Amino acid sequence: MSGTSAPSRKGLSKIACNRLQKELAEWQVNPPSGFNHKVTDNLQRWVIEVNGVPGTLYSNETFQLQVDFPEHYPMEAPQVIFHAPAPLHPHIYSNGHICLDILYDSWSPAMTVSSICISILSMLSSSTVKQRPTDNDRYVKNCRKSPKETRWWFHDDKV
Amino acid sequence: MESEIGESTSRPSCSVNGGNEAGDFECNICFELAQDPIVTLCGHLYCWPCLYRWLRLHSHSHECPVCKALVQEDRLVPLYGRGKTPTDPRSKPIPGFEIPNRPTGQRPETAPPPNPNDFSNFGLGATGGFVPMASARFGNFAMSAGFGGLFPSLFNIQVHGFPDATVYGSTSGFPYGYSGAFHGGHAHGFPQTGTQVQQADNYLKMLLLLIGVSVLIALIWS
Ligand SMILES: [Zn+2]
Ligand SMILES: [Zn+2]
Repeated sequence: MSGTSAPSRKGLSKIACNRLQKELAEWQVNPPSGFNHKVTDNLQRWVIEVNGVPGTLYSNETFQLQVDFPEHYPMEAPQVIFHAPAPLHPHIYSNGHICLDILYDSWSPAMTVSSICISILSMLSSSTVKQRPTDNDRYVKNCRKSPKETRWWFHDDKV
Repeated sequence: MESEIGESTSRPSCSVNGGNEAGDFECNICFELAQDPIVTLCGHLYCWPCLYRWLRLHSHSHECPVCKALVQEDRLVPLYGRGKTPTDPRSKPIPGFEIPNRPTGQRPETAPPPNPNDFSNFGLGATGGFVPMASARFGNFAMSAGFGGLFPSLFNIQVHGFPDATVYGSTSGFPYGYSGAFHGGHAHGFPQTGTQVQQADNYLKMLLLLIGVSVLIALIWS
């Protein structure tokens, strides 16, 4: 455990539960390449291993993503953070928070854990520098526990 | 805990292991077989309750969750299959949130009958631009359409026929009290005032009535 707890420990709705079961079944048949879901009996929190793509800055590195689902998933986005140590990336804070629009304002209920993973991996793979966001220290000091409570400002498009 | 009434009892569990056969008809939000299915203009399928809740409660903009096309609620297309009557969308209450009826389909005009009856070739071709004749299938509509189309053509007849009647006096059989201000020359289009015009109007009305009656008869007989 990395000391990060789920946003609010409210059980999944029936709709959320059904959908997550479907996503999980689909994942087991056809997982996104580069990812490993560490199966537990907790449907509401998925811990997923991310393998850096060979030929990118993160090749041979492995990270852990933690995905927590809210009661009304997929109407509301899941909370996605990296466990420590989070990848060194201009959009990933040292506390594991990720500045990626689809996790917040641009979430759509047609997205899936799988599609989130693919977005995150492509964000990693397209990075040209290994460094923290410029405001990392200030953000980490002041932010809430959940990145979903941050008012994000998505400055540049891709990377 | 939210409970979807009827969810577990009414649906066979085939969707769990069913794989992709039903995939084309799965809601893009809950991933189940769409209930009260509705399709956006961009072609994406949802349960009406799922889409409604997304648009009204959760989304920041009225976008299709799949492709981000603008979604207008009055331009959604419901899908009516054979199994369920389209009239009971309220039968599945969602606790704490009232979901209104699914929008109804926008029904284009009924297709024209295969063989047009003699009413439809009732000499209106000359007026042009009056197309909906073909769609006239119901008594009331046929009548109003017929009159709408008849007016312009009768005016033409009147305007062209009028000067003759005045020039040749009583030969036409209609006693026009001609005041002399009315020239056939610039009378094209709209006769404004004068008793002769009124009389012409009366003549027109009679003609119309006659035609109306014959149309009625034609309709009744066909
Ligand atoms: Zn649905
Ligand atoms: Zn769409």
